[in-house]
Amino acid sequence: MSGTTANSNLPRRIIKETQRLLSEPAPGISASPSEENLRYFNVMILGPTQSPYEGGVFKLELFLPEEYPMAAPKVRFLTKIYHPNIDKLGRICLDILKDKWSPALQIRTVLLSIQALLSAPNPDDPLAENIAKHWKTDEAQAVATAREWTRLYATGA
Amino acid sequence: MTSSGSPVIVPRNFRLLEELERGEKGIGDGTVSYGMDDGEDVFMRSWTGTIIGPNNSVHEGRIYTVKLFCDKDYPDRPPSVRFHSRINMTSVNQETGVVDPRHFSMLAQWRREYTMENILTELKREMAAPSNRKLQQPPEGSIF
Repeated sequence: MSGTTANSNLPRRIIKETQRLLSEPAPGISASPSEENLRYFNVMILGPTQSPYEGGVFKLELFLPEEYPMAAPKVRFLTKIYHPNIDKLGRICLDILKDKWSPALQIRTVLLSIQALLSAPNPDDPLAENIAKHWKTDEAQAVATAREWTRLYATGA
Repeated sequence: MTSSGSPVIVPRNFRLLEELERGEKGIGDGTVSYGMDDGEDVFMRSWTGTIIGPNNSVHEGRIYTVKLFCDKDYPDRPPSVRFHSRINMTSVNQETGVVDPRHFSMLAQWRREYTMENILTELKREMAAPSNRKLQQPPEGSIF
């Protein structure tokens, strides 16, 4: 019952975006709304090929706040990941989630940007200081750790 | 349901992230504060709060530590709350330090919009209430 009510009050834009996410998912990304809360999405992103996250399946959660699309979605990783722009609680440092957000962006563009961030870690704008330092001083070893974490935490879930 | 439609429900984890950020910034005059126990617990379950005893009470200047546990159903259900520091107070079980919802209405009549900050502030207010303000206290620094 409450689900139906929630749905009928959901802005048309969110309904449209959700339908398209389900009918034409972006490669390597799935996002589906939870039954109790249609603003709350379960997300999976496959680790991009040729990145240390290849072979991993990463779980995320995404929430569309009341102000959406005037405010950015809130997104975080639930799967542990070794990445200079993602902290221990899975929070993500990405400009479009903060000051570079624009209502022209969508859930899909946000998730594609996160997928791209996995391919191109940016240790010069770190959220996880230690990991960024590791990345800058010994990239090969940092990448090896990221691979190891992918194997430990992001496979077979 | 009102004609304005159903309210937007902030899911548990995002709500706790908001509380975490608010706690990190520091609250009001600093007499209540809180933080997460395990910075790597992605589910953000265990928290420690601190209350500085209110003026004009036996609690004045004492520092009390309170443990809050937010289960999977938080904030639909209240966290479990227990004093780590020993305290003699009507709403606190004297054997365990647990804050008894039967004597602490904020927990008994929990609402989803209440926060850990609200709980700590209300506990501090209760310390200064007539029923608690003059109760004899265990030695400072003792724990349950």
